[in-house]
Amino acid sequence: MAPKLQISRLGKSFGELQALRDINLAIERGEFIAVVGPSGCGKTTFLRIVAGLEPASSGEVELDGRAVKRPGGDRGFVFQTDNLLPWRTVFANAIIGREVAGRVGPAERRRTLELLKLVGLEGFENYHPRQLSGGMRQRVNLARALAIDPQVLLMDEPFSSLDAQTREIMQTELMRIWEAGRKTVLFVTHQIDEAVFLADRVLVFARRPGRLRESVAIELARPRTLAIKRTAEFVRYVDHIWRLIEDDVRASVIEEKV
Amino acid sequence: MSGVERWAVQRAAGSRLGWRIGFPRLYLAGALSVLGGLLLWELASRFVVANALFLAAPSQIFAAIAALAKSGELWQHMSISAIEFAIGYAIASLLGVIIGFAMAESAVMKRVLQPWISGLYATPTIALAPLFILWLGIGIWSKVLVVIFLVLFPVTINTEAGLRTTSERLIEMLRSFGATPRQIFFKVSLPSAVPFILAGLKLGIGRGLIGVVVAELFGSRAGLGRLIAQSADAFNMPDLFAGVIVLAAAGIALTAGFGWLENRLVPWTKD
Ligand SMILES: Nc1ncnc2c1ncn2[C@@H]1O[C@H](COP(=O)(O)OP(=O)(O)OP(=O)(O)O)[C@@H](O)[C@H]1O
Ligand SMILES: [Mg+2]
Repeated sequence: MAPKLQISRLGKSFGELQALRDINLAIERGEFIAVVGPSGCGKTTFLRIVAGLEPASSGEVELDGRAVKRPGGDRGFVFQTDNLLPWRTVFANAIIGREVAGRVGPAERRRTLELLKLVGLEGFENYHPRQLSGGMRQRVNLARALAIDPQVLLMDEPFSSLDAQTREIMQTELMRIWEAGRKTVLFVTHQIDEAVFLADRVLVFARRPGRLRESVAIELARPRTLAIKRTAEFVRYVDHIWRLIEDDVRASVIEEKV
Repeated sequence: MSGVERWAVQRAAGSRLGWRIGFPRLYLAGALSVLGGLLLWELASRFVVANALFLAAPSQIFAAIAALAKSGELWQHMSISAIEFAIGYAIASLLGVIIGFAMAESAVMKRVLQPWISGLYATPTIALAPLFILWLGIGIWSKVLVVIFLVLFPVTINTEAGLRTTSERLIEMLRSFGATPRQIFFKVSLPSAVPFILAGLKLGIGRGLIGVVVAELFGSRAGLGRLIAQSADAFNMPDLFAGVIVLAAAGIALTAGFGWLENRLVPWTKD
């Protein structure tokens, strides 16, 4: 079967700065991919190119064999900041992707309500963002991306603004939602344990220029519970990935001295 | 429902409750302050400045207002001023919003209009009132023009700024769903500019009222400015203050009504 996402010789420059160089990658349908790497290695840029929000400088991204040129309803983006519209209710925020596509009938309303229930916001449909906690706002952010029923979910550090406990809850909730729908997911994070816990594969990026250093397959049985974070196997994965990034941080420090 | 969610419910309920309890108290403090001020004024004008040519006591002013209201004179002046203000304010608001849109949407428009808008906003255009009276006569239209000149610029500037400062993040969010520029305008830029536009309109109320009265002082047949001018000529302090007080009351009422409107239209800016 052809891969869901095929990324070939992808490069991106901002003027002099080479943000991404020669990324080659095939992602299967239903795969959960996590992306980690030091700050500034181009993770957000990579995600934005896949989303079609940013043009590539070279190479290309193919979704189901068709080159990605612009944003589309086949990809849903979950932002680092929730980016909710303060004048809209939770429900109206969640359904905005459908509105943009020009289809808001009873079926879309029903589906959006179901999704809000799935992310644990039943009963909050008519609240406004300022009445919600940070965790709840991120749930709306997630529901909004899911409401267009995308084939690929792109998530850029969606839980980074949450406290540690809420983040762990959100990780298990995301797992549960993903198990239910099995969408292809690209999930950027700084938390290595979050990446290992969620992903089938962790892509480790290196910086200057931003590139793919290693792709680490995570062979932990599913469904996973938080208890798995204390197993030796889990810790070995985390150590391995941390060492890859640590090398890179050290290399970049030396690079800056020269 | 998790703890976090229950907390949010309580917070939402709490803020509503807080408003209900807090409002009368605020109201009370304001009322006491006004009453206290009036009392001091009354005492001062009776025992300190006992000359009726220099100061009128609140009791005399309210008697004057009652007399003017009874004779029907007050309504005549008020309605003329109100009509001048309303026409000028409506035209200026509409034009201001349209010009603000044009400037936000087109870089050329902005470059062409910006020096005029900034220049005229900073100029005390009220000084042009005698000229407008010369052009348009002493009827209502010269005053309407003054109001337009005073209200137009804050509305234009705020509309343009509101549209220009739309959050890039919100725009990007909508763009990720494949939104067209038109959809981005109506779903994000316009709603996020509404608080700015309302702030501009609110600024315009005070400026417009001053414009009406000052223009009337320069030459008119009727209006609150006229009432003030003729009372001053006759050294009728109670009538002069009556005009001023009615004006102040109109300003306060309009601004308060506007605040109420803002609370309904853009509650998300009130945190
Ligand atoms: N629009 C832009 N214009 C110029 N440079 C940019 C732009 N966007 C990103 N960059 C640069 O590209 C590099 C990669 O940025 P990017 O935001 O993708 O990194 P990141 O891996 O997401 O970092 P972080 O982990 O801190 O979020 C950085 O050096 C950044 O300064
Ligand atoms: Mg980033």
